[in-house]
Amino acid sequence: MPTSALPVDIEALAFDKALAELQAVVGRLEAGGLALEASIELYERGVALHEHCARLLTGAELRVQRLVDQAGGALRTVDLSVGEE
Amino acid sequence: MAARPAPVAAAAPVPPEQPKPPSVRRLVDSPGPRILAVGELTRVVRETLRDAPLLRDIWVEGEVGQVSISSAGHCYFTLKDEKAQLRCMIFRDDRLVIPFEARTGIRLVAHGRLDVFEPQGTYQLYVDTLQPAGLGDLALRFEALKARLTREGLFDAKRKRPLPPWPRTIGIATSLSGAVLHDMRKVISRRWPMVRVVVAACQVQGPGASTSIVHALRRLARWTDPLTGRAADIVILARGGGSQEDLWSFNEEAVVRAVAAHPCPIIVGVGHETDVTLAEFAADVRAATPSVAAELAVPSRLDHQASLLVLSGRLTAAGIRSVAVPRQILDHERRALASFRPTAYLRAERERIGLLLDRATRSLQARLEADRSRLARTDDRLPMLLAGRMVRARTDLARSSASLAALGPFATLERGYAIVRDVDGAVVRSASDVALGQLIDIRLARGALDVRVQQVRDSAT
Repeated sequence: MPTSALPVDIEALAFDKALAELQAVVGRLEAGGLALEASIELYERGVALHEHCARLLTGAELRVQRLVDQAGGALRTVDLSVGEE
Repeated sequence: MAARPAPVAAAAPVPPEQPKPPSVRRLVDSPGPRILAVGELTRVVRETLRDAPLLRDIWVEGEVGQVSISSAGHCYFTLKDEKAQLRCMIFRDDRLVIPFEARTGIRLVAHGRLDVFEPQGTYQLYVDTLQPAGLGDLALRFEALKARLTREGLFDAKRKRPLPPWPRTIGIATSLSGAVLHDMRKVISRRWPMVRVVVAACQVQGPGASTSIVHALRRLARWTDPLTGRAADIVILARGGGSQEDLWSFNEEAVVRAVAAHPCPIIVGVGHETDVTLAEFAADVRAATPSVAAELAVPSRLDHQASLLVLSGRLTAAGIRSVAVPRQILDHERRALASFRPTAYLRAERERIGLLLDRATRSLQARLEADRSRLARTDDRLPMLLAGRMVRARTDLARSSASLAALGPFATLERGYAIVRDVDGAVVRSASDVALGQLIDIRLARGALDVRVQQVRDSAT
């Protein structure tokens, strides 16, 4: 499994955005008619997008926080661990 | 069918609204004896009744006496107990929407306003709601508020907003004690752990609960992420099961209004499947339980894992197809080259295509490896439903592997060629692309070298 860092712009994508782009990439590749170099670049981008999506799906861990009132009416969030519930 | 003439009582069931004549007040207030006309007196009685707030909004319980329905469809009946009786009437339109009929001999509870029917000099209850007796005060308050807020349009289907399909942040208003938050956390964690959950703690039963709930909902409405400025995408108001009294806060007008007015799409999940609260009616989405609310809020990871696998198969297949044609051209060219003395140009072109093919082959191979290990990892977690899709994906994968083997991975490198890349990973094709002292990366059939350029000799020298 490749462990190389993904392109920065992909790394920052939310799942839905990455999935939508991956679908577009696959669609364009399947349509064909691209120059070899372009199709390989597109393919590699597809691989990176897929990798990012797969990592998000398997690697994410739920973050639960609690809203806490602060002086002056501002709201702060503090992490809420399982034991505190 | 010709309409029969209506009975007198039905012809003018309610006196038309008239502006209160100033004379009425003066009549009552002015001192000294005075002879009144019958109409004047009846009007004074009517105004007095109409002025009493208690009589405009009353619930009364009794046994139904005689019932009659006029040809216009209005219903007339009496309610009685041991001491007195009360004339009641229901307009046709109200009668058609009330799910309950007045029948002689049954006990029921009627809601409406008291008014005077001047032509007959009688007062009567103009009924808008009927219920069987014995439901209790809470049920009556529930029905009364429900009827009022329904008329106001608070529960209208057209007010309901859709839930965003890809929420980033879920706000939850619930109690920190008890299993509810824990259960919801488990559901969200299983389905879609990349969201962030922000909890506004509140008291969900007992005195002060409704104020506490409203306060929590307001805090969630006010909160935005300090980094992104984004508010919560979905808010959930939740509470576990309990008695009708325990759940009562969720029927309080302040809570119902706070739900209806919330700026975020809101799901309310209170109690067990059978419990119904007014807050749920006001929500954009009503959930049977808190766990169901959590399920409705986020997408399913498993569904997307499966669709991602399918996409991955299509990507690999398309990748292989896109190099297949150039590969054939290359082979053809190689055969042609064998019988001619190769020119520098052809050699360079052939090398370029060969390198691209190697690059593609390596990507494809890495991709297949990744898919294979992912399949192995997800296998035991997938329910039966997805097993079929999985088998298909695996077959695709096996087919892709076979095509890949035919492509001859790393063939070019094995022949002794190397791939030279600059620090950005771009393939170096010309000596003039690199500068003296620059770091370059040389990929061999086995392993790679990091090399610093000592001398640049372009083709001219």
